[in-house]
Amino acid sequence: MIKTEDHSPAAAMPLPKLVLREVTKAYNTRHGIVEALLPTNLEVKKNEFLVIVGPSGCGKTTLLNLIAGFDHPTSGEVLMDGHPIKGPGFDRLVMFQEAALFPWLKVIDNVMYGLKWKKGLNRAERRDVAMCFLEMVHLGRFADASIHELSGGMKQRVALARALAPNPRVLLMDEPFAALDALTREGLYLQFQEIIAATKKTVIFVTHNVREAACLGDRVAVMSACPGRIKRELMIDLPRPRQFNRTEVSVPAAEIGRELHADLPDEEGGRGVAEEF
Amino acid sequence: MRICRTRKEDAVWQRNFRTLVFYLVLLALWQIFFEMRFFPEYILPSPGMVFRRLRELGGDGILWPSVKATLLRMAIGFGLSALIGLGVGVAMGMLPVANQYLRSVFLGMQTLPSAAWVPISLLIFGLSDRGIYFVIIMSSMAAVAIATADGIANIPPLYLRAAKTLGTPRWAMGYQVILPAALPSVMTGFKLGWTLGWHGAVSAELIKSSIGLGFLLHMGRELNDMSQVLGLMLVTIFFGVLMDRFLFGVMENRIRRRWGLDHE
Repeated sequence: MIKTEDHSPAAAMPLPKLVLREVTKAYNTRHGIVEALLPTNLEVKKNEFLVIVGPSGCGKTTLLNLIAGFDHPTSGEVLMDGHPIKGPGFDRLVMFQEAALFPWLKVIDNVMYGLKWKKGLNRAERRDVAMCFLEMVHLGRFADASIHELSGGMKQRVALARALAPNPRVLLMDEPFAALDALTREGLYLQFQEIIAATKKTVIFVTHNVREAACLGDRVAVMSACPGRIKRELMIDLPRPRQFNRTEVSVPAAEIGRELHADLPDEEGGRGVAEEF
Repeated sequence: MRICRTRKEDAVWQRNFRTLVFYLVLLALWQIFFEMRFFPEYILPSPGMVFRRLRELGGDGILWPSVKATLLRMAIGFGLSALIGLGVGVAMGMLPVANQYLRSVFLGMQTLPSAAWVPISLLIFGLSDRGIYFVIIMSSMAAVAIATADGIANIPPLYLRAAKTLGTPRWAMGYQVILPAALPSVMTGFKLGWTLGWHGAVSAELIKSSIGLGFLLHMGRELNDMSQVLGLMLVTIFFGVLMDRFLFGVMENRIRRRWGLDHE
């Protein structure tokens, strides 16, 4: 499956991990065809942290679902390492807004779950791998706990461990911190950046929080709604790890915010959304 | 936290205590009613007489084997019913066509009283235990099947998406995700099915057996022994509640709490 050796001279220029070429998505609804996504082109490099930010209904989750393979584009193609994406799979694991842990399994068994479908690992090896990732999110001593005994932040950390354990090449994250309270969330950003740096993942991270986008992203794609499209991409060139509340993060955050608000029909609406951010 | 917990435990204890007092008052009223002789003894015996009759039946070595016989029939009949109901329920949960047709059949079947299955079971199986299993299955299977189908239909889609993204192959979805995710509802179906099966078992025993709670109840009527009839009714209620509350009820609550469906 994994072929990394390149014979062509083009090997010097690394191929993008993920390519979206003229991808569109339209849904048939009772009110006719709704265009969720206008033709979109996007390239994501290996080990890049791409944040997709936009208002609700801008098609950012649609975009993520297309990459995840939960949904298929109406036209255009989604390529990973040059191959079209056919369906969901653990080379592109998704983390959701809710932890979506399985309550019938213990914490450790949840983290081991995705490893079950990888060949060549026996139970003891699966447990070792899972334990390693559980330690990474500092929840090693909760291995034998039940899911309902964990707090929201702990659940989301277990979900991260579960997503990392099968060693996906791309991690797709759909507002994974949005359901957590601010204090828990801000505590997680540093830990999360460390883990992503240590495990060298390519990440596509969807959010509507501009500060979160500025704090986490190497690159931020700003989307606008109705119909959804990527209107601008910004590079965030700040040293890591970034502190969520430091002032240098506010500069790009403000820029992303301006970009988003430029879309809104009038000042009044603009202020309303600005407060949400 | 500690205080809250203690208070909660206090509340539970207090509630149990009040329930106990309620039953003691009920027993006392029964005794008073008996002492006032509104009804002749063969219509309303005293609590003591009922208790004595049960002791006699126990001493004769009839009561306990009867309880065991009925529970054993339930174990076999309801065991089969749960298996069949689970299988049919899974089929209903997966195939919309099966769901549409079978659901209407089962909902119809559920309006039928358990005892109404006894004549047909007599015609098919005669006076054998198989006929009692048949009545138990027909009384309880529909409840298990419908609860299973509902449980599958109401699985949070997020579990299925998570399972897919984690690479679960299609053939493994059923036992790895769908059944465990539907378990709280399946358990509710088992609990309801048990109670309906219990009705069926005792109804069938009234007519076609030579041992069992229903048989002793029937015998009490034959002997014009109101103490035995009332005593057997109480024993039947006791074991029904015991299983419903303390076996299925406790399992159901534990599962619901673990699945995050009940918030303390």
